[in-house]
Amino acid sequence: MMLARVADSLYWAGRYVERAEHVSRLAEVMLNATLDRSDAARHVAAITRGALGDPGGSGDLLDLARAMSLDRDNPSSVLMSLARARENARQVRDQITSETWERLNILYLRAVSARASASFAADPLAFLGEIVSDLHLFKGAADSTMSHGEGWRFMVTGVFLERAQLIARLLRASFGGGLAGAPEEPLALVTVLRMACALEPYLRTYTADLNARFILEFLMFDEDFPRSIRYATDQIEQHLNHLARGRELGRQDPQRLAGRLKARLAFADIGEVEGSGAGQILAAVEAESKAIHEAMYEAFVAYPLETRLPAA
Amino acid sequence: MFDPKGETRSHYAPLHSRIDTLGAAALADRQRTLERSFLLQGITFTVYGAETTTERIIPTDLFPRIIPAAEWARVEAGLIQRLRALNLFLADIYGPQKILSDGVIPRDLVLGAPSYRREMQHLFVPHGAFVNVCGSDLIRQPSGEFVVLEDNLRVPSGVSYMLANREASRRTFPEVFRESRVRAVERYPDLLLATLKSMAGDWRPLPQVVVLTPGVYNSAYYEHAYLARLMGVPLVEGRDLVVHDGIVYMRTTSGLRRVDVIYRRVDDDFIDPLAFRRDSSLGVAGLFNAYRAGSVVICNAPGTGVADDKAVYAYVPAIIRYYLAEDAILNNVETYLCREPAQLDHVLANLDKLVVKAVGASGGYGMLVGPHASAVERERFAAALRADPDNYIAQPTIQLSTAPCLVEGRMEPRHVDLRPFILSAEKVVVTPGALTRVALKRGSLVVNSSQGGGSKDTWVLAEDGGDPA
Repeated sequence: MMLARVADSLYWAGRYVERAEHVSRLAEVMLNATLDRSDAARHVAAITRGALGDPGGSGDLLDLARAMSLDRDNPSSVLMSLARARENARQVRDQITSETWERLNILYLRAVSARASASFAADPLAFLGEIVSDLHLFKGAADSTMSHGEGWRFMVTGVFLERAQLIARLLRASFGGGLAGAPEEPLALVTVLRMACALEPYLRTYTADLNARFILEFLMFDEDFPRSIRYATDQIEQHLNHLARGRELGRQDPQRLAGRLKARLAFADIGEVEGSGAGQILAAVEAESKAIHEAMYEAFVAYPLETRLPAA
Repeated sequence: MFDPKGETRSHYAPLHSRIDTLGAAALADRQRTLERSFLLQGITFTVYGAETTTERIIPTDLFPRIIPAAEWARVEAGLIQRLRALNLFLADIYGPQKILSDGVIPRDLVLGAPSYRREMQHLFVPHGAFVNVCGSDLIRQPSGEFVVLEDNLRVPSGVSYMLANREASRRTFPEVFRESRVRAVERYPDLLLATLKSMAGDWRPLPQVVVLTPGVYNSAYYEHAYLARLMGVPLVEGRDLVVHDGIVYMRTTSGLRRVDVIYRRVDDDFIDPLAFRRDSSLGVAGLFNAYRAGSVVICNAPGTGVADDKAVYAYVPAIIRYYLAEDAILNNVETYLCREPAQLDHVLANLDKLVVKAVGASGGYGMLVGPHASAVERERFAAALRADPDNYIAQPTIQLSTAPCLVEGRMEPRHVDLRPFILSAEKVVVTPGALTRVALKRGSLVVNSSQGGGSKDTWVLAEDGGDPA
């Protein structure tokens, strides 16, 4: 049993934390990969812009990285995501262990401090790398100190729902045009893997044989890698099943939608994707994640009161 | 810490010698560590400025204040006596009003006070405990005697700082802490929960308790979340609660759940837009009706503010005598009621020596500190006094006692007061500790956190740890 508002805040804290981590990593990997002015670097810049939802953008990449990190007017900047994650966590401060809260609060205080922009300027890679590893600490603290009950499940569902959409968007930006037009430069391919924090696990699975087909297969269908879309949808379905247990949630219940998305991923394979292009299924992942989000809100948070009055 | 001759008072000796050994650099270091740890934990309050809103920690001083067992015993007895009498007083004025019929207190002073809630008339309050949580402000006079400056009977705050300061001072002076036999304050949250539960225990075997907060933008939000977390009960906002058929429910992820006891940290005015202020969005429509119907308990009861009204305050010794037939153990500060013409004349003639306070205001607002005010300010206040004398009281400029604080690496005296926390339901319990509030500006007498005050830990010593004298 938990307050509807609290569940909603925990869910959003999870989403914003995941978004902050992803955008930090995108910016860091992009800066690292575009130090020279090769063709691959141009490709990486285009992928990054696509993954941010702004494929037509142009301009200096360091400026872009700064805007992605610290811009207060950019609603998806790392700073704004951290601020929102922390604001959500603060509203449910009594539900989060102190160990978990402090990790997030430290990060937030550092990102809003007057020194943040100077330390970004001095060493942007270190600045972003540190945010990513601190967010890992946050997740570790949440995992190992919070009770794995309802509240935690809402937060983790937020993380995976956000992740499924972010990875889908990254893959769409990289390989959306079908495998024929996919980048072939090893540097661009390595960069895509790095942006999904997947390089080392990929190498262990496929060895250093880098090609778009394997990368797509790994990031979409791998069963064990925590950033593959299939893994994320498995998690979403699992947590929603737990959350929905013993509840009447109506026909548009979120766990049914999650089950459908999971099945879609489970029964598709790379051959099918090769035929029709990855774009279609990736777009479906994004659309269905949105539908799950809305169904969750209807089922757990903004339900009509008259349907839930206790039996008199 | 020091007696009038400049010698270290004996109960301070171990601390004093430890401070000497540590030296200024180590102390400054520990102070920084402490402040950082408060900031990281989010132990902050929100300051609303004209343009920006910032989160700040209440500046916290390293040195604990120490109160020997004998001194505390008197304070404790006095606080229990006072709260018992005030609860009896509230039950009376919201009931038969005998004290008014007997002419002990002027009827219009009570019934005309803005904090008097006619809606509470003849309403059953379990155990007669209108005030469940009280945080009185005490000051120590030059004679060493503690007197009561203010009874905070509405929604007193600061207890989280008492607990956080304790945590900090144990880390800063672990050796001295062990040696000194300091009494524990850590049970406050479970005592509070027991107090709240006992308010509904008679008819609901496992009462659902919640803490009602105005929300994250309230300056004491940290404390609301902290208490809810340590009690293990939901922290709700008005929008989480609904009233249906006279029963209060909270909206959970699995539907509506009944609520039995509400520890509300929202002022009377805002708890129910149907009963009190109509423009309030912090409250719950229909809550007061549910309360009147007896299906939910609100703690503290609405309307307790009338007993900590600054004018009623002057009558507390008479209230104690009336209900308990005892003399007050803790005295009041001498208070002039401007509603009495003779006393008003005295106040106007001595405006430069007195502190004038508006009866309804709190938190250091609406106040004139005569000796520190300019002639213009004094004139403005004199005009206000003449226009609306009922609204003001005056007290002599109180010499708050001082305690040594760490200021820019040096030990310096600063003015302090003392806020102990008292719980009351079936029994009255005083937590053996307190929040000592500190006026951080040199010479300043204003200890309110909204006006630049800070705080420090307060060690109450167990029986044989006190003064041998």
